[in-house]
Amino acid sequence: MKESRLCSEWDRAKMLPKSNELQKKIIMVSTIGGASEDSEAQRVNVTYSDLTPQVCFKIKERRVEIPIPESSIRVTIKSSGTAFATQEFAIHQKDISFVPVTPHILSLIPDFATSTLNLKWSDNGSVFPYGLHALWQIQILRKEAMEVVTQVTYYSKLTHEDVILSWNWTSDMPLECTSHYVKIRCYINATQYVGPKDWSDWSPAEVIPGKDTEPGGSGVFPLDPVVAVGSDLTFCCVHEEDQRITNMTYGSKSYTMMKLSSRSHAIRVLNASVSNSSGTNVVCRLENGLEGSVVFVGYAPDIPQNLSCETSNFLIIKCTWKPGRPSGLYGERRTKYSLFERTSGKNVSCEVSEVNKDHVCGFPVLPDQKTYDFVLGVSNPIGQAQSSLLVDITQRVHPKTPEKLTVTGNNSTSIQLRWFINGSFAEVRLLCQIEINSSHSERKLHNVSTPGRKSSTYTAQLNALHPDTKYQFRVRCSAADHFWRWSDWSRGVEQTTSEAPPARGPDIWRERSPSGESLIVFWKPLSLSETNGKIVSHEVSCHLLETLLEHKVVFEPSNRTEIKLGKSDCVISVVARNQAGSSPPSRITSVELPSDNVTTDQAVAMGNGINISWDSYPNMTCGYVVKWCHSSGSEPCIVDWQKFPSNTTNAVIKSALFKPGVRYNFSLYGCKSMGYQLLKNVTGYMKELPPKTAPNFIVEETSSDSILVKWEDIPVDECRGFLKGYLLSFAKGEKDALKPRLSESGNPELKVNNITDLTKKSMKILDLQGKTSYQLELQAYTAGGLSPPNSLYVVTKEDSVGLIIAILIPVAVVVLLGVLASIFCYRKREWIKETFYPEIPNPENSKALQFQRNICEGNKTLKTLEMNPCTPNSVEVVETQSTAPKMEDTEMMSPAAETTVPEDGCDSEMENHVVVSYCPPIIEEEISNPPMDEPGGSSQVVYIDIQSMYQPQIKPEEEPAIDLATTAGYKPQMQLSISALKIEGHSPVEEELDKTAGYRPQTNTNAWNMGTPDSPGSVESNNENASFGVHVQLIHDSFYFPQKMMKTLLNLLIQGGPSHTFFRTKQMINSGSSLHMNLPSE
Amino acid sequence: MAAADSPSAALRRDLCSRGIRLAGKMRADVVDLLDAYVEQQGLDASASVAAVEGVPLAAVERWDEQTGTQRLLENLAAYRAFRALLAQMLEEQREQLGEADAGLGRALAAVLLQVSAFTYHLEELLRLESRGIPGEEEEEEDGPPPPPRLSLFEQKLRGLGVLRELAQWAVRSVRDLRQLAKPSPATGAAPGLAESP
Repeated sequence: MKESRLCSEWDRAKMLPKSNELQKKIIMVSTIGGASEDSEAQRVNVTYSDLTPQVCFKIKERRVEIPIPESSIRVTIKSSGTAFATQEFAIHQKDISFVPVTPHILSLIPDFATSTLNLKWSDNGSVFPYGLHALWQIQILRKEAMEVVTQVTYYSKLTHEDVILSWNWTSDMPLECTSHYVKIRCYINATQYVGPKDWSDWSPAEVIPGKDTEPGGSGVFPLDPVVAVGSDLTFCCVHEEDQRITNMTYGSKSYTMMKLSSRSHAIRVLNASVSNSSGTNVVCRLENGLEGSVVFVGYAPDIPQNLSCETSNFLIIKCTWKPGRPSGLYGERRTKYSLFERTSGKNVSCEVSEVNKDHVCGFPVLPDQKTYDFVLGVSNPIGQAQSSLLVDITQRVHPKTPEKLTVTGNNSTSIQLRWFINGSFAEVRLLCQIEINSSHSERKLHNVSTPGRKSSTYTAQLNALHPDTKYQFRVRCSAADHFWRWSDWSRGVEQTTSEAPPARGPDIWRERSPSGESLIVFWKPLSLSETNGKIVSHEVSCHLLETLLEHKVVFEPSNRTEIKLGKSDCVISVVARNQAGSSPPSRITSVELPSDNVTTDQAVAMGNGINISWDSYPNMTCGYVVKWCHSSGSEPCIVDWQKFPSNTTNAVIKSALFKPGVRYNFSLYGCKSMGYQLLKNVTGYMKELPPKTAPNFIVEETSSDSILVKWEDIPVDECRGFLKGYLLSFAKGEKDALKPRLSESGNPELKVNNITDLTKKSMKILDLQGKTSYQLELQAYTAGGLSPPNSLYVVTKEDSVGLIIAILIPVAVVVLLGVLASIFCYRKREWIKETFYPEIPNPENSKALQFQRNICEGNKTLKTLEMNPCTPNSVEVVETQSTAPKMEDTEMMSPAAETTVPEDGCDSEMENHVVVSYCPPIIEEEISNPPMDEPGGSSQVVYIDIQSMYQPQIKPEEEPAIDLATTAGYKPQMQLSISALKIEGHSPVEEELDKTAGYRPQTNTNAWNMGTPDSPGSVESNNENASFGVHVQLIHDSFYFPQKMMKTLLNLLIQGGPSHTFFRTKQMINSGSSLHMNLPSE
Repeated sequence: MAAADSPSAALRRDLCSRGIRLAGKMRADVVDLLDAYVEQQGLDASASVAAVEGVPLAAVERWDEQTGTQRLLENLAAYRAFRALLAQMLEEQREQLGEADAGLGRALAAVLLQVSAFTYHLEELLRLESRGIPGEEEEEEDGPPPPPRLSLFEQKLRGLGVLRELAQWAVRSVRDLRQLAKPSPATGAAPGLAESP
């Protein structure tokens, strides 16, 4: 039993052989623990044999090392002691596992500032063949509970030597916050080993204790770190065991705490942003205290941009660059710069202002070194960067601003300048630029190249300057051979050159005075570039041959002088003089040669000058002179002139003094050796304008049909252009201050005469009407337009002969016609009588209608009725016309009222006008009409004065249809509208009436009003049926009714008549009409 | 005796009144500086700060029983300490901030100047009291070794404590000088001085 157990134990043990020395031996280990401490009875004999002789080990331990067999080995284990057993088995090479020796940590060094652990161990490679790959598994554990934080695998290659390996690990949590542990194991990739390979055991854990394990350890960690923007940060607060944390804040924000241990808590801040200059406070508030840390969050430095190096003096090389984004770190954490020169190996630390954006660093110029290989290093606690530049310093010369610029030499045309440049430029040439400014000329630059010297003064000579001119100078310099940059301009200096004699004589002209006794000499002032100083005076002398006739000194500013010469001539000489001397003389002869046929042309400016042209005169050897005055006519004339060479034939005279609308007189002189000859005159305008004033004109003579007008010339000054003509306008018109100008009045009778003949100063206007007022206007015009008009009013005289003729001729014609008519009447008197005066039958022969007959006959006889024996009858037709009853009355009463009555009932077909006199109604008869259709109705015939009629009412809607003209009185029936008739029923009586075409109610039958209780008729009758009464008034002496009609009416009214007839009459009444008839007294 | 005391008393009163004005101005400036300091350093104005090492406390028991000389000597010791602490603060400020926040540095330097002036003023008063002025060098030699370098947060807190206590001291100094200015025989005569150590 015991044996079998032992065997089984060894049996397991054989499966766990260990070898860390390949090809040497294996280690067999029994898994039964404590065996080595067993007594002697536990002693084991192990015997193994392969091809070699058998080897026996007598061991107490349960471990034995035996060489690794080639392929397999046979092992016999004999146990001696209380329990004896023998175990025999074979070990094959492929069953032997290869397990490296457990690695040993040599050191574990913490860096608390960076929270980094540095682990070191030996690879024990000396026991392995060269070139094996080794894997090292490293485990980081944290807290007291040893929680695995991370596990990494590290690769190495064994070199058959013992090599110390190193590995760094940065913790995301400060190492002070809690304890950190590190373990390591290895795996050797022994490729030639046929058996299984395995990891070694873990080494014992090395620990870095946290502050929470230290007695009295407290604080916020990490302490005052500097981190990059965007980092994730972990802060922990370590405190005493008996203290309790209230909260932890980052800046002003409170964070959730994580417990690391009983004495340590942490917060995690993600994506930290830039802190302010004094950092961000991380505060841990304890119950009875305050712990804190200050974290600075910023940026790593940018790579310096635009690095540039130059020297201004060959003593110091100045390098400049742009730093890029600010780091946000200040003070001792600020970004630091250093300039390293590779060739010389010299390093310079740069003091750079954090606030100033210009970053500058100086590097000393090294002797005998031209080329510099600079590396600008930039670093701050977060990071570093660099920028490099290779530069030949002789090609990067930027001299300092020249100083002490002075003028050392000066005359009228040259100046010497001197300046100083600080620096050692012995190795280069300098190019200096001198800026020359003066008020007379444009800015000029003058370059001077000079060999460089060490802190030296440089000079330059400036020539070709202008005398008496104030100049401003300043200087800048650069390297001549390899231009890099100009220095700044030096301070400017001013210097005025001294005066020199005027460069030339003045331009002169002369004119004889009007009396011819003296000569006026004119000269033009010299230009500033010619005076060479201030002109003090002009000297004028007059020589006849070699004899000086006169000499005058004329001081400035006069530009003319008069020489009493008499009729003689001389050569005039003028010189200008300033402080430095006199100009060369200008000469002109006073001789004026006679000229023939001098013409006067006209010229108008084209563009900005007046163009004057002339023919070529071959004998004019010394050119031409155009002379003009700047004022037209008024004295003194400001003389100006311009000279032209002899080959010129035209000139454009320009002057700023020329004004539009002013006449200028130009004279062209030709120059001969003997003198000047006037060739032609030209009058010209810069621009023609309309005449300033209207021409004065008067009426010289007036007749019944004509007016003679005379006018005067407009003065030249007021013409303002070349006069082209006059416009004389005239039209009928009374004098009226408010009347517009003729030309603007739009009068259709306006006549305009255009007078283009300027010599004509009068004009006769013909074909006018007598005794008529005319308005005359006269305007002058130029190419610039019309002058204002001048107006006159003239009344033509009366035409007496015409008047007489106009009276006499009609009188004579009338007399003649009268005579001829008398003769004709006399000779045809019989025919006239028969025709116009036929025999008239006696109307008294008629008994019944004697009156009508009389009337009818009266129509033909045109006999006025006599009223006295007449019993007047009257038929008064009262219209319902509301608007003008009185007017109707008036018309009816008026003897002049004419009424046309169709004469159907008359024998005569002619239409005759009867003038009747008015007869007042003298019979008023009320006719009682027996009621037939209408109970209680009565018919009345009321004879009333037409003036007492009531006002008929007109329906509003009917009013527009009423024509006042047609309703204002009696109207002949023929004017009735057919429609009005059709409204009424066609009774036989009506038809009869139609046939007779005699009297009818007024056309607006529907406008007629029936009688009302208010009507006068009603009131008068006191009858309730009065409204149905018929008012018939036959105006005997006013109207003539046809006999048939009258008969019918009388039948109707007196005898009652057929009922339908009465009804018809009623209808008429109901339709608003009333009929008043004055019956004859029969 | 009275005639001899009169100019001295007048001079002391004059010195006291000038000192009162100086302390008043200093108090106002320190209060302003305190606000700026708290804001710039990101501190909580209400944070309680433990007593700062090296800063003498303005609060004292039995203040009214102190003699004039005692008052002056305590004031002098305090302001000398403040002078050193403020100079240290100024140096740390320059070190940590560089050219940033120059305004705070200028205000700190101005207060430091006032503290120095007030210290000199106190020394004048002590001379008037015919008292020897304690030497600074001796104090420094005998004093404790310089404290270990503080963390930045501790520096901030210490600065806050210094300024707060300086503000307190400015108030106390005004009261002390008023007390000194009173023409009482106890303060003006020798007994007061004799009592002082």
